[in-house]
Amino acid sequence: MLQSHMKQNLWGYLFIGPFIIGFLAFTIIPIISSLYFSFTSYDLFSPPRWIGLDNFTQMFTEDPRYLHSLKITFIYVFAGVPLRLAFALIVAMLLNTASRAVGLYRTMYYLPSLIGGSVAVAIMWRQIFGDDGIVNLALGFIGIDAVRWFGDPTAALWMLIFLSVWQFGSSMLIFLAGLKSIPQSYYEAASVDGASFFQKFFNITLPMLSPVILFNAIMQTIGAFMTFVPAFIISKGTGGPLDGTLLYSLYLFKQGFEFFHMGYASAMAWIMLIIIAILTSIIFFTSRFWVHYESEGGR
Amino acid sequence: MKKSLYLLLGFMTVLILAACGGENGTEETNTDGGTEETGNESGEASGEDVTLRIAWWGEQTRHDSTLEVIKMYEEQNPHVTIEPEYASWEDYWRKLAPQAAANELPDIIAMDLSYLSQYAQNGQLADLTPFLENEIDVSNISEDNVNAGRIDDNLFGFNLGVNAVGFQYNPQKLSEIGYDEIPEGWTWDDFQEMSQAAADAGMYFDNGFQADVFFNYYLRTNGARLYAEDGSGLGYEDDQLFVDFFSMTTEEVEKGATPTPDFLAQLAGPEDDPIIKGEGVGIFQWSNQFVGLEELSGLDFEIAPMPGPTMEEGLFLKPSMFFSVAENSEAKAEAAKFISFFVNNVEANKVILGDRGVPINSEVLEALKSEVSDSQAQVFEYIEWVENNSTPMGPADPAGAGEIIELLTSLSEQMAYGEITPEDAATHFRTQAESILGN
Repeated sequence: MLQSHMKQNLWGYLFIGPFIIGFLAFTIIPIISSLYFSFTSYDLFSPPRWIGLDNFTQMFTEDPRYLHSLKITFIYVFAGVPLRLAFALIVAMLLNTASRAVGLYRTMYYLPSLIGGSVAVAIMWRQIFGDDGIVNLALGFIGIDAVRWFGDPTAALWMLIFLSVWQFGSSMLIFLAGLKSIPQSYYEAASVDGASFFQKFFNITLPMLSPVILFNAIMQTIGAFMTFVPAFIISKGTGGPLDGTLLYSLYLFKQGFEFFHMGYASAMAWIMLIIIAILTSIIFFTSRFWVHYESEGGR
Repeated sequence: MKKSLYLLLGFMTVLILAACGGENGTEETNTDGGTEETGNESGEASGEDVTLRIAWWGEQTRHDSTLEVIKMYEEQNPHVTIEPEYASWEDYWRKLAPQAAANELPDIIAMDLSYLSQYAQNGQLADLTPFLENEIDVSNISEDNVNAGRIDDNLFGFNLGVNAVGFQYNPQKLSEIGYDEIPEGWTWDDFQEMSQAAADAGMYFDNGFQADVFFNYYLRTNGARLYAEDGSGLGYEDDQLFVDFFSMTTEEVEKGATPTPDFLAQLAGPEDDPIIKGEGVGIFQWSNQFVGLEELSGLDFEIAPMPGPTMEEGLFLKPSMFFSVAENSEAKAEAAKFISFFVNNVEANKVILGDRGVPINSEVLEALKSEVSDSQAQVFEYIEWVENNSTPMGPADPAGAGEIIELLTSLSEQMAYGEITPEDAATHFRTQAESILGN
């Protein structure tokens, strides 16, 4: 009996074997080595040298560039994620009003998420935000002076935020699925009672959608914190102007692969992990005040 | 039941092995040629098939010409297959570092002066001395030019050509601001006067100074240099030199003779540069960029030396780049032969046309003089002049130079934006640089 039970398990292990091997080789082992490297001085070429907590103290006491990159990453996350979610929700609601070509629109709006990290987008962005680009033309039209988007550190960060908002596709799809699962009868009942669009939105859509919002908020926050590609291609890998687009991951990359401070870069990665863990737990903790699960009797 | 379990297990093992094998597939040819070769030492391998990987950085014209030379070499040496890997300057170094860590460096690596020490000190590069006069023909190359790639007693990079900085200007624009020519033996005072004239005429005089290159030049004219001879720290004592130089460059921006940094950041590419568009007088840059400048702009430029005083002390011939051979290469001798071909073959150099600096092989240089375009001839002429009006370069840049350059570039950017005064930047640079070079 026991033997056949074990055999059953063996089959199971066999099937998940490829994943386990990949997971060990490409995830667990690198994670553990990076933890070790974070306590060392390691330049890729010569063997790592144990230096204890020096990397971590250096980060917070001797490296103004690190603190700066932490700061702009927080701005990027806290400005970018809510904007992106709001935008994704608006588009999802538009698409949810049944139309014949909804499949086509869905694909079109998802497209930026797929090509967002490509060099073509960087070139397009240079055109759009260039001195004579469409953005500056539009600003000029409403009487605002042209902005040097690539030359001003604050403007460059906002340009990155716009780029991230533009890539709302994956959140939008999840919102769309969430919207579709809200029973139509609620809206009908509300209409009968004479509720306005906004009343329906705030009293039915948002509460019913809150678990999906929670999911999206967490995933997008984690993703935003790790943003690398847009900053890299927009600034041509420099993080400039004046470190205005030096997001955390980009600085980590520079430390590791340009200055060969692999130990320092590993330490940075671990701090990022801790920050993401704290942020995620905060979102989870607050979620009990605003997320409603139907299955728990509307709680 | 049991049988099928074993069958499945066996099937999976095969799958996994196949997957792992696939990853190494590209290298297999490489190691095949290599392992056999280590048996009979320094490459009596002619006849056996060898695959060489070669990596360089550059722009499209360089990629095209290098690929053509590779094809020529492969035709003449049918047993050699060459796999090229090329990228832009930034991407190149980002790609090379992980390859070095994994002991997977290409056999032949294009090397820059600022990285040579870093890779050499870490034992990544092979000493080329044993190949001299054997695989690498140096009969038409001066000893100084060969030794430019030497660190201590080891030859870690083979010089591919020489370069020198200068002021590459548009004579037509110069006359528009009221000067017929750059006066012989011009000084920084002349420079400031002329740039003022350009600013008054509503024109840019130049597009700024690449901080590390020209600050080093300025230091040399004052009897110092950027890095200490032994690479353990900075090569100048007096921070006033820093303040003087960068106050001057910041002033150029303020008076409108140099574009502001946010203007430069906004440019989509080199073709938008005001000098290239014929809206400014000239560019301070390396001589091997001259041909590209003329091609891109479609304008005629002239080359003048740098502003003095004591210009000779500051000017030097820089090896524009090296080819190094990786220590992990298993076909070092074959790699050395290719380098020799690249440097010495006249036909190959008629394709390269001095793109990697003015050829160091005197015979090649003579043969090219009749071949090259007018602009390349101007470069040759300038380099010949510099040869007699310059001082030796001195030791190669220390390991960590890449980080120093980034630090100095970032500080000069901050100064140009007016975020930091030259005085503060000088102190900051010293503390940071000493700590980078110190460990």
